[in-house]
Amino acid sequence: MSKEIIEELNEAKDVQQGRREFLKNVCVSSVAGLVATATPAEAVVDATNPDADVTVEEFFQGHFILMSDEEKKQAIARLEKRYSAKYGKKTTVSDVEAPDGVLFGYALDIGKCIGCRRCVHACVKENNQSRHDPEVQWIQVMKMPKGNISFSADQLDKGYPEKSEFGDYGVQVGGNAYKTAGFSTEDAQNYYQDDLVPEKDFFYMPVQCQQCEKPPCVKACPVRATFRDHAGVVLIDYNWCIGCRMCQLACPYQARHFNWGEPNLPAEEMNPKTHYFGNRPRMRGVMEKCTFCVQRTREGRDPACMEACPVGARKFGNLLDPDSDVRRVLATKRVFRFKEEAGTYPKFFYYIG
Amino acid sequence: MKTALSFAMDFGSYAIKGGSKYYAWLLFLAFFILVGSYTAYQQLTEGLILTGATDQVTMESFFANFIFTAHIAAAAVLVVAPGYLYHRKDMKELAVLGEIVAMVFVATGITFILFHMGRPDRTWHMIPGIGFLNFPNSMLSFDTIVLNVYLFLNLFGVVYILYKKYNGTFHEKEMSRWFTAIVFLAIGWGPLIHIVTAFVLASNSRISPWDTAVLPFAFLTMAGASGPALIVLIFLLIRKTTKLVIGDPVIDLMTTIIAWSLGILMLVFAAEIFTVLYSGTEHAASMKFSMFGHNGLNMFVPWFWVIMGALVGSFAALLFRKVRHSYNLLLPLVCFVVFAAILLEKPMILVFPAFSPSPLGEYTEYHVTLVEFFNVLLVWALGFLFLTLILKGAIGILTGEVRHDKSSASSQVGA
Amino acid sequence: MDCLHKSSKIVVLVMCGFLVGGLSAYNIAHSAEDKQDEAQSAQPVTDCFESRLGGYSSVTRVENAVPKYGYPNIKCSQTTDAVLWYGDPFAGTIPMGEMPKINDTTQGDFANAVVKSREAHLMNFLGPDGCKTCHDGKIVPYPKNKKPRLLGMHQDIVENSLNLMHGRGAMWCLDCHSATNRNKLVDRHGNEISFNQPQKLCGTCHGENYIDWRAGIHGKRIGSWAKGGKKRWWVCTECHNPHTVQITRFNRLKPEPRPALPRGMKNADYERVGDGGH
Repeated sequence: MSKEIIEELNEAKDVQQGRREFLKNVCVSSVAGLVATATPAEAVVDATNPDADVTVEEFFQGHFILMSDEEKKQAIARLEKRYSAKYGKKTTVSDVEAPDGVLFGYALDIGKCIGCRRCVHACVKENNQSRHDPEVQWIQVMKMPKGNISFSADQLDKGYPEKSEFGDYGVQVGGNAYKTAGFSTEDAQNYYQDDLVPEKDFFYMPVQCQQCEKPPCVKACPVRATFRDHAGVVLIDYNWCIGCRMCQLACPYQARHFNWGEPNLPAEEMNPKTHYFGNRPRMRGVMEKCTFCVQRTREGRDPACMEACPVGARKFGNLLDPDSDVRRVLATKRVFRFKEEAGTYPKFFYYIG
Repeated sequence: MKTALSFAMDFGSYAIKGGSKYYAWLLFLAFFILVGSYTAYQQLTEGLILTGATDQVTMESFFANFIFTAHIAAAAVLVVAPGYLYHRKDMKELAVLGEIVAMVFVATGITFILFHMGRPDRTWHMIPGIGFLNFPNSMLSFDTIVLNVYLFLNLFGVVYILYKKYNGTFHEKEMSRWFTAIVFLAIGWGPLIHIVTAFVLASNSRISPWDTAVLPFAFLTMAGASGPALIVLIFLLIRKTTKLVIGDPVIDLMTTIIAWSLGILMLVFAAEIFTVLYSGTEHAASMKFSMFGHNGLNMFVPWFWVIMGALVGSFAALLFRKVRHSYNLLLPLVCFVVFAAILLEKPMILVFPAFSPSPLGEYTEYHVTLVEFFNVLLVWALGFLFLTLILKGAIGILTGEVRHDKSSASSQVGA
Repeated sequence: MDCLHKSSKIVVLVMCGFLVGGLSAYNIAHSAEDKQDEAQSAQPVTDCFESRLGGYSSVTRVENAVPKYGYPNIKCSQTTDAVLWYGDPFAGTIPMGEMPKINDTTQGDFANAVVKSREAHLMNFLGPDGCKTCHDGKIVPYPKNKKPRLLGMHQDIVENSLNLMHGRGAMWCLDCHSATNRNKLVDRHGNEISFNQPQKLCGTCHGENYIDWRAGIHGKRIGSWAKGGKKRWWVCTECHNPHTVQITRFNRLKPEPRPALPRGMKNADYERVGDGGH
């Protein structure tokens, strides 16, 4: 987060705390009922435990960034208690800060990617996404035809310039004229289900949050529930998000996903090591997206998708360290950013190695 | 204070009195409110998963209807403006009706947004001071401000005029300067809510059909057509069923505005369609999807052509003097077609197909669910219920049936 | 008037009936789906494979391998038995061992490099003597030279030993496998190389890939992203099978299931290929 924003947020902080205290006292009784109805029971997890309910204090908590250290501690304690009760296992919610001198970056070799979708499901296992209704997956893999698939040899000589009574238009029609080739989202298949991958004549491109340097989602959020941390990762305060989905509209990478209903997260599959801005269980009606596994990467660990990739197509590291894998890729390979024309300056690079 | 109380009492008691048809209408609305309350409860407890919205098509019917209510609310200015800007006396007397329409439909639009939100219980996060409003970065924060200010401008204007008239202290010539200033502000603010709403959409460059400079113009012209269409319908109904006098010239002015707006709208559509289709870049994909479908996905295609046909047809019809002056049959019919076409244009052309292709090349159809449909009807029914009641009361005051002197006596008798 | 009231009442009643019926049917349909989904959550898969299919890359799930979080060492896919998630990325690893220094920009970050022991695997599989159990110079005598000949064994690894495709005929088994110590590889200077460090051998020919690998660009490493952090490296032979490299470069894999279709979509048939242009 840039300095100006921090200052701006700090200014708002003092005013906010006082007024919220007042509002809290006024509304406690009337809202208690509302909150109780807002969290319906779930079969898989233990929602009968009274500790599993959202408390009034949690309902009235402010933006996490604007909280005092004491408030942060309380918020974390509340969440740990609630999650531990709900999922029946000791859950930790970390709020560890991003390390200094680090700018996280990612590089992905679409020459190597085989489209096995292991990263997709590794991410689901790590980040406590809703498993079904709604199914939330932070990574989406596009399958795209290589250049040679749409061109057929018997059509080679079938193309001709379009004729008119004034002569040729110079516009080619027929034959292979209007066949796509290569990198094109227009012909991408997102729901391919082949027996074995990689399919001949196709290549694959996984897309997740590109952690833009100029994120349109952050600009669009009316309450700044989503913001960029100083390591360059765009995060969301799930307790502050109002669910208006303007960020989802703004994102040119289809990277943001919404909890349309109460997330279905089986207790036995729940990952109890969580981060406040990362993989802690979400609630209904809030946005979520890839955080580069903030609960791992802030502690020095690699993201789950990278560890799952069987072909080593994924590289993660510190963009400020010239010896990091990512910087080595940037230095030696031909990289590109997806949808460069969107003017978002992602820190997610694709290359063909 | 006492006067204010009796104003509210008289206004309310007049508003709920009416003939059997009036009650049938209220009952009709009440039915949808009743049903809608159940579906709204379902949606509030289970979430937007009960709507047809997905991560691919993230905006549901509530958002589409919100845009339409902004159309109508903004267009109500067209009743106020001729009176105050061009000093048309007959219009000036009816200005308050226009402000009521604006007020009610801004409120309806805000209700739609509450239904649209995933966490309506966290709306307070937007209030500066206790929350954090991301101003001026977020276009939605502009829209929130603009809509709420417009709501309160109109609310104030309506209450002020009606209260003064109720007391018999409203004199056109002695109208205080500050009130005139507020009316002019409201007139200017009307198009503003519209332009800002268009910017909310146009700010999303990823959605190529919205990423166009003609969007505010399309919105303004559609507002100019759909809003007056509703107002013509309301005025025709009022002058048929109440003692309030609304002259033909007022209706004719509204009809002219509709015709002009539709005419300019044709140009706007033509400009957009030409610009997109001539070069045929990837930005044309979404419009092609709307017009012709994509590999067998063509649920929006009939909607596109029927709605476009209805708009062109109504424009052509309004060119005929006979239609414009057929106050009891053809004009209301055309107005209804315009209203319905632009209402349906919102979800079926503007919003749903705009999400295909998605940034990753997905094409997605949208199926409105039952719960969503009844929630939309609930909000509309609430809007029309309040519109009916407030208009009814206002007519009582405008016609002089509800007055302070007379009513204070009667209320004493009642007590 | 009465008539109007009556008929409106009937209409309202009928509409209510339709609505309640429709909504309850909708609810029943939805709850049925939920139950089906709950029934599907099955037992976790315990024997999984990492990069490529084949016995020696299999890993066994150990419950509570990271007691702090109650993590197992790995989590596997229900559908493909592939390792999807590492609770403990270093389980079963040993230090990589000495790596030659190259004093240019390709200097690798080997300070905390660990690998899965491949030698240990051989010993587990064949006993404490590994390959030497048979290739001890007595049971199977040491070969006299490196000339290709037809082997009677190991057809599961190389079907026809006269037709070894690695190097397209330019080399043969004993160019890499030590003739006298089958538990080791050997480079062309005769230095023995551990099976844990095949990169030292492969890199002598595949220099460009070796340099990329050292730099972290080629191949896979997991653990820590930080400079000098502990990393588990995948060595050449964990992904590439040197014996079949020209025939099947990689075994194709079964992909994980596709994402659910957006609500309201019945299929994704519109995703046809080669229909561009319209």
